[in-house]
Amino acid sequence: MKKVIISDATLRDGSHAISHQLTKAQITKYAQAADKAGLPIVEVGHGNGLGASSLQVGLSLLDDREMLETARASLTRSKLGIHIIPGFATINNDLKFAFDYGVDVVRVASHCTEADITERHISYTREQGREAYGVLMMSHMASREVLLDEGLKMQSYGAEALIIMDSAGAYLPTDVQDRISHLVANLNIPVGFHAHNNLGMGIANSITAVEAGAQIIDGASRGFGAGAGNAQLEVLVAVFEKLGFSTGIDLYKMLDAADIVEKEIMQSTPCVTSVSLVSGLSGVFSGFAKHVSLAAKEYGVDPRDIFFELGRRKVVGGQEDKIVEVALELREKTEARTK
Amino acid sequence: MRSHLTDLIRRDCEEICPSAVTLLQEIKNQKLYITGGTGFVGTWIAELVTCLNDKHGFNTGLVLVARDTDSFRERAPHIASRKDIQLVSADVRRTLEIPDDVSYLLHLAASPDNRQHVSNPIVTMETITGGTGNVLDSASKLASLKKILVASSGQVYGKQGNAKISENMPGTLNSNSITSVYPEAKRYAETLCCAYWSSCKLPVVIARPFSFIGPYQGLDKPWAINNFIRDALMDNPVRIIGNGMPVRSYMYPSDMALWFLRILTSGTAGLAYNVGSPSGISLKDVAEKVMQYFGAAADVIIKNMNDDFSAFVPDDTFCRESLNLSVTVPIDTALRRSLEWYRSLE
Repeated sequence: MKKVIISDATLRDGSHAISHQLTKAQITKYAQAADKAGLPIVEVGHGNGLGASSLQVGLSLLDDREMLETARASLTRSKLGIHIIPGFATINNDLKFAFDYGVDVVRVASHCTEADITERHISYTREQGREAYGVLMMSHMASREVLLDEGLKMQSYGAEALIIMDSAGAYLPTDVQDRISHLVANLNIPVGFHAHNNLGMGIANSITAVEAGAQIIDGASRGFGAGAGNAQLEVLVAVFEKLGFSTGIDLYKMLDAADIVEKEIMQSTPCVTSVSLVSGLSGVFSGFAKHVSLAAKEYGVDPRDIFFELGRRKVVGGQEDKIVEVALELREKTEARTK
Repeated sequence: MRSHLTDLIRRDCEEICPSAVTLLQEIKNQKLYITGGTGFVGTWIAELVTCLNDKHGFNTGLVLVARDTDSFRERAPHIASRKDIQLVSADVRRTLEIPDDVSYLLHLAASPDNRQHVSNPIVTMETITGGTGNVLDSASKLASLKKILVASSGQVYGKQGNAKISENMPGTLNSNSITSVYPEAKRYAETLCCAYWSSCKLPVVIARPFSFIGPYQGLDKPWAINNFIRDALMDNPVRIIGNGMPVRSYMYPSDMALWFLRILTSGTAGLAYNVGSPSGISLKDVAEKVMQYFGAAADVIIKNMNDDFSAFVPDDTFCRESLNLSVTVPIDTALRRSLEWYRSLE
């Protein structure tokens, strides 16, 4: 039976959905449940990763150390994973202490065309004997040839897997098939896929990825994640088993973990809202949804217009300040038309 | 450098000296000019030559050329402070002033670090192609030059089948890939050597190094055996992503230094020679030996996430038969000595 490694992003990507306000009790309860279910990797942290807590992208309730310490204490079988974006996270200030707190897997991420910024973080992780994955975010913005070029760089740096993220939930299954099969055919390391559900394709795209050769799939319990949420983890487990892929995860215990998220962590169940659908259509990072909604309300403009304009400008994660800029411009245009 | 470490190196060099004395008579009383002279290969050549000078009166002078000679002075003061060694700071991409009395030249300058190749591909290609052009041009003006060796790479062969790779096998590189930056630049450099040999009758030989393990090799490089040793030293499990079946071979650097110098002095101009061990070993077996010799308590984890049965092992027939070269340090000894070295560094 072919194996699929499921990486659980609930306590990391889910942070976006609650403005990074995870509590210690929530982390403990979910991490213990995920560990019991046999999740191979449990990611924890601010939605944008280690060192990202800031006014720009949102302040975390807990600092990185508290989150890692809490999660580590609850994981016995599952590996503790983190997401880091060089620039947010530095080696000396962030990565070193993360290892002191027992991080096993470091997912070093960059925009899909900027893999070269990950060299030092991947190298340092390998030098410490920990697992390093390369992650290409907003991968819909690059062709499969560009993704391969960037993936080869991460492979050369020592990455032990390459994950491509559909950060905007913009892919259709044909896009996933095209990119994943090309990467699998040309890389020596395993390929993974991280879906978002903005167009309602999270599960379908994840299945397509595995059928195209992906060996690592990201998901979040109840889909708890940015935008319309991630591929729903317990559904992934059930569907993969039904398709004949082994995940090594206990379905009942996985369902118990998902119930915890629904009842004790999430404020609302992720769904394909008008705003998140537009985020997917316009190809804009799902994590922008809350910022866009706030800006739309504050400046009295249509959030869908903001998303399409951000998409036209090819704005990416880290450029959250552009949201207000666009909202202001849209308001000025509207006012000019009215006059 | 601590005396125990220099003693280890000197022991290795003295062990190979009987062969070296016989095979390297041509470098007696000669001056050698080495670009990239403070790197892994250059440092080992310096160790062997200084040993021959001290123990066998070779009276061979070395000019070690590098961009950053200060760090070498700190790293290897026992070499840098010697009277038979001259350190010169220079960049091979600029015009070189090579002393007239140089009779042998080794062009080794170029980092083999594949991380640098993909992060700085343009600089990598410029350094290899432009640097080789500069060195060949300068060499062609030396009146007393007897031979020049240009270091290429075993990577010029690209992916081959499971047979040992001989010097006459054509390369299979995909030129249109970021990972081909280094080997394609080396292929260009080889052809440039051929052009200088043909047009200027420059006596140039090419060495194609494969894989090495031993003292002076940095464990930060993302190569399989380096990762294995580093993880073993930290008592971490060794992880192999694939099936552990790829076959590689590893030469100990004292052999490597002798092979480079022998190819320099006795190789036929216009030809290329492999430098590497012909004894293949699977990555799984290497990992297990590393853990065994290093006394590491952790496991070797085979993840089986790809089916790789590739081999990258040189055929040594040409060097063995035409230059009387052989591998004197088997893999088990190489690993034990590496262990001694890296443990002493801690």
